[in-house]
Amino acid sequence: MQHTGPRAFLRALRRGLLAGVVAAALPAGADTPPLAAPASAASAPTAAAAMPLTGTGQRLYERTRPQLLQVRTLLKTQDSQSSVGSGFLVDDAGHLVTNYHVVSQYALQPSRFRLVYVTVDGQQGALQLLAFDVVHDLALLKPVDAAPLAGRGSVALRPADEPLARGARIFSLGNPLDVGFAVAEGSYNGPVERSFLETLFFGGSLSPGMSGGPALDDQGRLVGVNVAARRDGEQVSFLVPAAPVRVLINRGRGATPITAPAWPEITRQLLAHEATLTARFTALPWRSAGHPRYTIPVPQETFMRCWGRGSPQAARGLQFERSDCEMDSRIFVNGSLLTGYLTVRHEAYDGSRIGALRFAERYSASFRNEFMGRNDRHRTAPRCVERQISSGPPGADGAAALPLKGVICLRAYKKLEGLHDLSVLVATLDGTQVGVQGRLDAFGISAASAQRLAQHYLDGYAWNTPNNVSR
Amino acid sequence: MEHPEQRVALIELLGRDGQVMRTLDVWRWPLTLGRALDNDFVVDDPHLAAHHARLAPGDDGQLLLLHALPSRNGVRFAGLAVEGAMTLPAGGGLLQLGTSKLRLRLPGETLAPELPLPRHANGTPLPPPLLVGAAVFALLLGAHGLTLDPGADYSAWLPALIGLPAVLAAWCGMWALMSKLFQHRFDFGGHLRIALPWLLALTLTDALWPLLTAALAAPRLWMLGNTIEGVLLALLVHAHLSHLLPLHRRAVTASVATMAVAGAALSAALTWRNTDSLVAAPYMSTLPPPALRLAGTVPSATLVQDMAPLAEKLAARVQQARADDEGDGEGNE
Repeated sequence: MQHTGPRAFLRALRRGLLAGVVAAALPAGADTPPLAAPASAASAPTAAAAMPLTGTGQRLYERTRPQLLQVRTLLKTQDSQSSVGSGFLVDDAGHLVTNYHVVSQYALQPSRFRLVYVTVDGQQGALQLLAFDVVHDLALLKPVDAAPLAGRGSVALRPADEPLARGARIFSLGNPLDVGFAVAEGSYNGPVERSFLETLFFGGSLSPGMSGGPALDDQGRLVGVNVAARRDGEQVSFLVPAAPVRVLINRGRGATPITAPAWPEITRQLLAHEATLTARFTALPWRSAGHPRYTIPVPQETFMRCWGRGSPQAARGLQFERSDCEMDSRIFVNGSLLTGYLTVRHEAYDGSRIGALRFAERYSASFRNEFMGRNDRHRTAPRCVERQISSGPPGADGAAALPLKGVICLRAYKKLEGLHDLSVLVATLDGTQVGVQGRLDAFGISAASAQRLAQHYLDGYAWNTPNNVSR
Repeated sequence: MEHPEQRVALIELLGRDGQVMRTLDVWRWPLTLGRALDNDFVVDDPHLAAHHARLAPGDDGQLLLLHALPSRNGVRFAGLAVEGAMTLPAGGGLLQLGTSKLRLRLPGETLAPELPLPRHANGTPLPPPLLVGAAVFALLLGAHGLTLDPGADYSAWLPALIGLPAVLAAWCGMWALMSKLFQHRFDFGGHLRIALPWLLALTLTDALWPLLTAALAAPRLWMLGNTIEGVLLALLVHAHLSHLLPLHRRAVTASVATMAVAGAALSAALTWRNTDSLVAAPYMSTLPPPALRLAGTVPSATLVQDMAPLAEKLAARVQQARADDEGDGEGNE
């Protein structure tokens, strides 16, 4: 339709931001000054008392208190906090885990920012970034001076061979909105369905600032790390499972602290992620869209979620049906860049009620109305190639091959060298009053993966019933 | 009484726009010009001396001499300053005293041929404006109708039905006002006759060029569409201005060309900033209807092959952006 392109783009942006912003640490100045005052030991119980607490919650809080931290990102030149999140100690040496997005400003601009921890009892100290896992949104840090954090104990990880039952009570700890340390009780609801990266569904409330805090079972063992929440629902929050936490701790414990911008390491991790994603995606066969005339590639919903929509029944104009498939898992690089995901959509048009001339006008207008991006801070402007192509079963030619207009656009990331955004735009060209336009977008992929995905997508188009082809 | 045919010269005082304000029949020489009352031709201009210039036959009694009398601002003839005295051509010419312009007409002048009236300006008459107007209106109305669904409410036609004539009237009205300013006539019809054929050309280009290039599957030609329309628009403005200032054709051409080039450069610079390209549209968005799909198809693998060099080109852009970035100071962020 006229404005589906930009609208879908905006919607995608908003959904991405929901995960990103909620997950993102509280920006400075978002709160009133008295509330933003540094948390003290006295204020913490007050905040906690406001939450509905069970006995288990109180016991857990008392036990985990020493290991619970707030992680602040400050501008190097002043004491104002740029963002805040939570964290927890994972060993007696003072190593702590939080979300990558809590420390992303420091990771990308270590010359401008510094990291500071604040304990529940008000102790403060400088932090160093040892390692991060941008894909799972985790970071491992250690204090510059280990002494104040040594001997406080650590949060144990729940063993992988003891799966938690759905509905079990779990407790999420952190410092929401810099108000004060708090315990949020909720239920464990298993992994999020149709997610590419394993993410746990926490039926409780998470607020900005709790990012990076631990979610514990009733014995105080780590189930997951607070990471994000959906704002369009109630108590739909997400945790990073314990497995990647374990991997990160083992990998990063002995690492030398990061002092240079981490773009190369982020690129390396994203390239590994996109290779897996591309391999898994291209291995899956396409689903049918159920169109009477064309075979249209619709992805399996293994790790994507598709939403369908159609024109109103009584509409006089162009009839259409559209399908939007998106991945929930998106990778936060910084506040303005989410990447590492795919979207696939198509619109099937039926112009029998408006005639061939009007159909041609609408059909072209819809094809024009596709945003390909422009030169911005993170990515170059797109470069495109286009052709009239034929698609169909191998060896198909003449009437057996479906004539398509194909456009492939590529943008390159400026800081993440070797990563690209791919857009493949397809329109069928055979019908005077019927047609399908489709689009595949892949964010943060290598040039080789872009070729594989483009070919895979184009191969998904064919005649549905080659025998009753009418031209 | 003296007979008009016995006059030896005619002096015309010209107004700011070149129209004749006052004439003086000259019956005999010499003749003086100046601000004072005892001149033969009194010119009421504060930039003139009391006795500013004198016209008298030379010693041979044949050729006329122009004497510049002592004055602060001097005398110019045909654009040249007159020092002392100069011999005037037999046909006369333009005199400037202070800010006043005078035309001196002598018996020896050669008359310019009779000018035809504007409506007969062209030997081959243009298509009647009514016909061209109807064609433009029909085309634009048709294009508007295509964007409406069948059976649309009649009010949906109003923008085209009222808007098109209103915009055209405003456009021609603006030019007519300018002609009132420069030529003292409200030449609405003349500008309408100029606008309509160009409008027809613009409408046809807008409708047919994308279709034609899409039929041939020629994206590069398709992307020229905007440029062609820009050139047509510049030519339209040029036609209006030439009609408005017929005596300044070269200046009009030069200024329209300058504006067109400057506008194109500005738009190219803005497009370049956003798209790293001189063309705003990243791809050809017009889809040919099946009957017009003249170009053949290639296997999809060919398109994917086409894409292979893109990554390298983009890498070069990234390097350039990075170099610019570092030139600005801070390397990251």
